[in-house]
Amino acid sequence: MRMTTRKLLDRAFTAAACFAVGLMVLFLLFVLGPIFGKGAGAYVFTGTVEHRRMMIDQFGRGDEARVAAEWAGAQQARRPIYDALAAFEKELPQLPAAKRKALKPAFKAVREGVAVLLGPEPGEPLPALTRKMYGQTRWEKVQAKVTDILFEETWDYSEGAGKKVLVPRQPMFEGTALAPLFPLLQTDLTALLRPRLTFYPGFLTDVSVDAHFFGGIGPELLGTIYLALGALLLAVPFGIIAAVYFQEYAKEGAVLTFLRTCVNTLAGVPSVVFGLFGLAFFINTMHVSPGKSVLAGALTLALLVLPTVIRSSEEAIAAVPRSYKEGAMALGAGQWHTVLTVILPAALPGILTGIVISMGRAAGETAPIIFTAAVSVGKLVNPAELLTQPTPALSWNLYNLCTEHEAVDEIRHVQYGMAATLVLIVLVLNLTAILIRARVARRLKG
Amino acid sequence: MRVSLLVAGLVAGCAVAQAQDKLVLDGSTTVGPIAKAFAESYMRQNPGVNITVSESGSGNGAKALLNGTCDIADLSRDLKDTERKAMAEKGVKPVAHVVAYDALPVLVHPSNKVKGLTIDQLRGIFTGKIKNWSEVGGSDLAIVVISRDTNSGTFETFKDMVLGHEAKIVESAEYTGSNGGIRQRVQMTKGAIGYAGLGFVDKSVKALEVNGIAPSAETALDKSYPIARPLFMFTNGEPAAESLAAKFIGMSRTEKGREIIEEIGFVPVPAKK
Repeated sequence: MRMTTRKLLDRAFTAAACFAVGLMVLFLLFVLGPIFGKGAGAYVFTGTVEHRRMMIDQFGRGDEARVAAEWAGAQQARRPIYDALAAFEKELPQLPAAKRKALKPAFKAVREGVAVLLGPEPGEPLPALTRKMYGQTRWEKVQAKVTDILFEETWDYSEGAGKKVLVPRQPMFEGTALAPLFPLLQTDLTALLRPRLTFYPGFLTDVSVDAHFFGGIGPELLGTIYLALGALLLAVPFGIIAAVYFQEYAKEGAVLTFLRTCVNTLAGVPSVVFGLFGLAFFINTMHVSPGKSVLAGALTLALLVLPTVIRSSEEAIAAVPRSYKEGAMALGAGQWHTVLTVILPAALPGILTGIVISMGRAAGETAPIIFTAAVSVGKLVNPAELLTQPTPALSWNLYNLCTEHEAVDEIRHVQYGMAATLVLIVLVLNLTAILIRARVARRLKG
Repeated sequence: MRVSLLVAGLVAGCAVAQAQDKLVLDGSTTVGPIAKAFAESYMRQNPGVNITVSESGSGNGAKALLNGTCDIADLSRDLKDTERKAMAEKGVKPVAHVVAYDALPVLVHPSNKVKGLTIDQLRGIFTGKIKNWSEVGGSDLAIVVISRDTNSGTFETFKDMVLGHEAKIVESAEYTGSNGGIRQRVQMTKGAIGYAGLGFVDKSVKALEVNGIAPSAETALDKSYPIARPLFMFTNGEPAAESLAAKFIGMSRTEKGREIIEEIGFVPVPAKK
């Protein structure tokens, strides 16, 4: 009887554990699935002829002759639309006053909608903003823009809470010169915009054009790499030295307990506090740079990851079997020599794991770099200017693009692409940590 | 020895670079789109130049100018007396450059049937005297007041022009850190009311008429829309005639710069004679 109870309990525990793990995996899929699914859309998507034209103009990339031919074809297909617009513009002053008054705003909306969909009309002066120089570059946004032209979005307030009503514009223009435009937009879209499956690996390295409307996330990616590497460069030596001191040199006592408490407290400080500290101390007091800079950001991030590096190194050092140390001592090695040639190499896998995981953390943190390093627009940082130059960075710019940008809805693909790239970097770093650990552990055994 | 020489060389290189081809902007999220577009346009024509733009709010922009951590501070309001005093004590001489004009549209969810409000009604709503849309001609729905954070120049402008300097915003108000954030909050909440710069209005939100006037570039310029304001860039001292800062700010009066401002949705300043 007791045996069966024990077995039952055991099974119940296994079931609970499996359930917990399953829940975690499900949650991970639930979170990462959409991020990677939608993020991939920044790299692989159905691009229109407008995208290919933009790539040639802005980045000098693509088959010029082929795109020119495509462009000529698309313009040919667009001719009837522009003809209809021009004809109606001529017709408008001759319409009866009441009708003219009703149709004028609708015509303006249609004309603006066509410019959004297909880009500026031929012969019109080129707009100043790059975002307005081209039509829709991505096929998945085309349908929404067509709907904007075909329907007027109004709100019906007759039943208290307003309801969205889409009023078709086509009947309004029945019998006018603009009428042929509407069916064209419904049936001829492919000829107008020439959608084609497009691979855009340059998203990873290109600079952004016109506040991320076009182009990629190169400066952000480079900034993130510089910041994370810089933080490690500063934090790792001090972290390992501190860990060696705690484990091998310091004597147990009040001072050590106090120092340990300090490290633990530092590990629990919210990251935004580090950010404010970095601004107040490194920039405003120490003047490490004239303003925000990669250096100031890396220093702040280094402080943030220092406790993690110390603690993971300490644990790794503590896990080295005592016999290693005693063996070295018995052979006549001094303490310094023992640490350098026996303990640290044996602890290396653990230390490296801690370092790589800290790097993932440094790459993903936003708050510490808001005030110390991150800007919303900036070039690829020149390595010679790391000490003085601020930089865009994936984590901060993702936030910036999702909340502060003037056209958040127009650049969803960039936001998802950035998020996916950032998560991927962290995943790859963690995977590297596992691989390094396995490899070094194997070598040490062999 | 060689290393220290290298470091010295690097540092010297940076110092020189900074003097000629670097420009750091910080401040208002309203002026941000203009600054970003100017920076990109300028860097395209002058590839050797590096201009960085941060959008941390007008208050932080003023602080950055005070601390000397930026060359140009974007502000969507004038400097406050306290800021001017602090700058005077530190020897910073702020010079204002108006780069554009902006109206502050009052935004509600498009399903809201209220078409317009008066300044008095707005004051009532933002100070908490009016709590339900039915009191101003809407349906029976609690009003959710959304405001910019107190670091924002948009907040200061709205408070001064609508509520009066002494008034307090209702305690239940939600504070949001950017213009884009306000728009997102309003488009998600049926009973919400907020305000943002002209350049941030799209069809996902409804801009109300205030005192019967709809916000637009025209009504901002002829001052018939009651909540309008200039947008500033501040420098420490008048920038030298041919300096990067002078050329950058001067863009707001060139044809191209005025086009950019107009296309983003703000009102350009009159062109240079």
